[in-house]
Amino acid sequence: MRRLKRNRVGHLISKGSERVSEMTENNHVAVAEAPQSNQEQTEPIVRYRKVSKSFGDNQVLKEVDFDLYPGERVAVIGPSGSGKTTMARLLMTLEKPTSGTIEVDGRQLWHKEVKGKLVPADEKHLHEVRGDIGMVFQHFHLFPHMNILKNVSVAPIKVLGLSKEEAEERAKTMLDKVGMSDKLEAYPANLSGGQQQRVAIARALVMRPKVMLFDEPTSALDPELVGEVLDVIKEIAAEGEMAMMLITHEMSFARDVADRIVFFDEGRIIEQGRPEQIFTAPKTDRLQEFLKRFELNGSSS
Amino acid sequence: MFLRTSLYYQAFDGGVIPISVYAQIFPQLLEGAFVTIQLLILSAILGFLLSFLGGIGRLSRIDPIRWISGFFVEFLRGTSLLVQLFWLFYALPLLGIKLAPGLAGILALSLNYGAYGSEVVRGAIQSIPKGQTEAAIALNMTPRQQMWHVILPQAFRTMLPSFGNLFIELLKGTALVSLITIPDMTFEASAMRTNIEANTPEIFTLLLLMYFVIGYPLTLATRWLERRFSVGRL
Repeated sequence: MRRLKRNRVGHLISKGSERVSEMTENNHVAVAEAPQSNQEQTEPIVRYRKVSKSFGDNQVLKEVDFDLYPGERVAVIGPSGSGKTTMARLLMTLEKPTSGTIEVDGRQLWHKEVKGKLVPADEKHLHEVRGDIGMVFQHFHLFPHMNILKNVSVAPIKVLGLSKEEAEERAKTMLDKVGMSDKLEAYPANLSGGQQQRVAIARALVMRPKVMLFDEPTSALDPELVGEVLDVIKEIAAEGEMAMMLITHEMSFARDVADRIVFFDEGRIIEQGRPEQIFTAPKTDRLQEFLKRFELNGSSS
Repeated sequence: MFLRTSLYYQAFDGGVIPISVYAQIFPQLLEGAFVTIQLLILSAILGFLLSFLGGIGRLSRIDPIRWISGFFVEFLRGTSLLVQLFWLFYALPLLGIKLAPGLAGILALSLNYGAYGSEVVRGAIQSIPKGQTEAAIALNMTPRQQMWHVILPQAFRTMLPSFGNLFIELLKGTALVSLITIPDMTFEASAMRTNIEANTPEIFTLLLLMYFVIGYPLTLATRWLERRFSVGRL
């Protein structure tokens, strides 16, 4: 299933993005065995069009076009301040784009269509569309006044309207998946950073979003805790129907997990493609320059 | 000096021994204490609600709500409680609205202390890291759910010590209502003083003690609440 998934997605990328030219895997497998809802799968789940964002005089995104396909895993890399995090925050509705549009599953996110015209969205509209998106933050942001079980079950109860039993059942399944089911009664302050981040992942997953955003999920962790979080994300990536946007500085992780790598610099997508191509044969000088900085680590192979 | 001496003699002439003096004063002060406690509780409840109304109002995204709550908070904080009390009791009737003394008292106290409370609420809400709101948005909570389930429970912990202070301030503030004919503890004390002037020291000593007896448990209760709401914090 994993393999099939990759193939199907790869097939989609070749249609959707002109930069991705090389398809190394056999497309016939995907074509033969992926009949279910292929029609809608060819449409991107997220579509950025000419999206710009400025903070005062500082323009952090410059007319970015970007598509994310259902089930696709995209790793976003690039230097600090290149606009990667802003990409995620705009989609999560934590920041408002200065101009441009974002579509989620065929619906405008920041705009509403009224009589064929796009007008700025209100909170109600954001609430409707936002349900498809989930996010894991660099600094976890668990709720300190709730125990772990409550942290993960509160939104299913309040937002999805599940019963307490149902929500806790779902929460426990997710906490089991991230290896935290023995800490249900613990409070965030009593957990390590890695444990907190795993709980945060469960908290996002339990809402069953169609798109998951990971904003540098390991950047705030002590080095020895990075592995446990990356393992959890890899596991989710391997099984998921979810599209994932992984903003990361972990190059070997990006290469292992992603179907596509997108390189950002100075508010633009400079280069994108399959991991093999990006890491072994980067085309642009800027990407080559950027990747050189990681070669010293040497841990990637 | 002369006055003090004459009082002393009066007391001496009356031949009252202290213990029976207190026995005489205490029941009447106790009557006033019930009024004081009633005022305290009712004003605290109303003031508490107003604190949240004002505090959250000042953080509203809607401009007029923010302006109006800002104006009321600053105006009520910036004017004297005693004058507010007089205004409600003496001035308002001439404008056609007559309030019972008790109501005027509760209103003045709760508005005044509610204004201070608003600042406590506002400060506490603003002290919660932005990431908490963002996490709540990422879980698709509505603004009301963000406030109710995520922000306020955390902010409440921060508010408690300040609210405890205000609560005790409020208790002491209730003494002012004796000036608009409400028979609270201080009113009773003043009344007794006019009748049995010689026992003024006993009357007011006992009055101080009784305020303390009401006030100190409030301090203890606040501390207990703080501990309870510290769950999950190191």
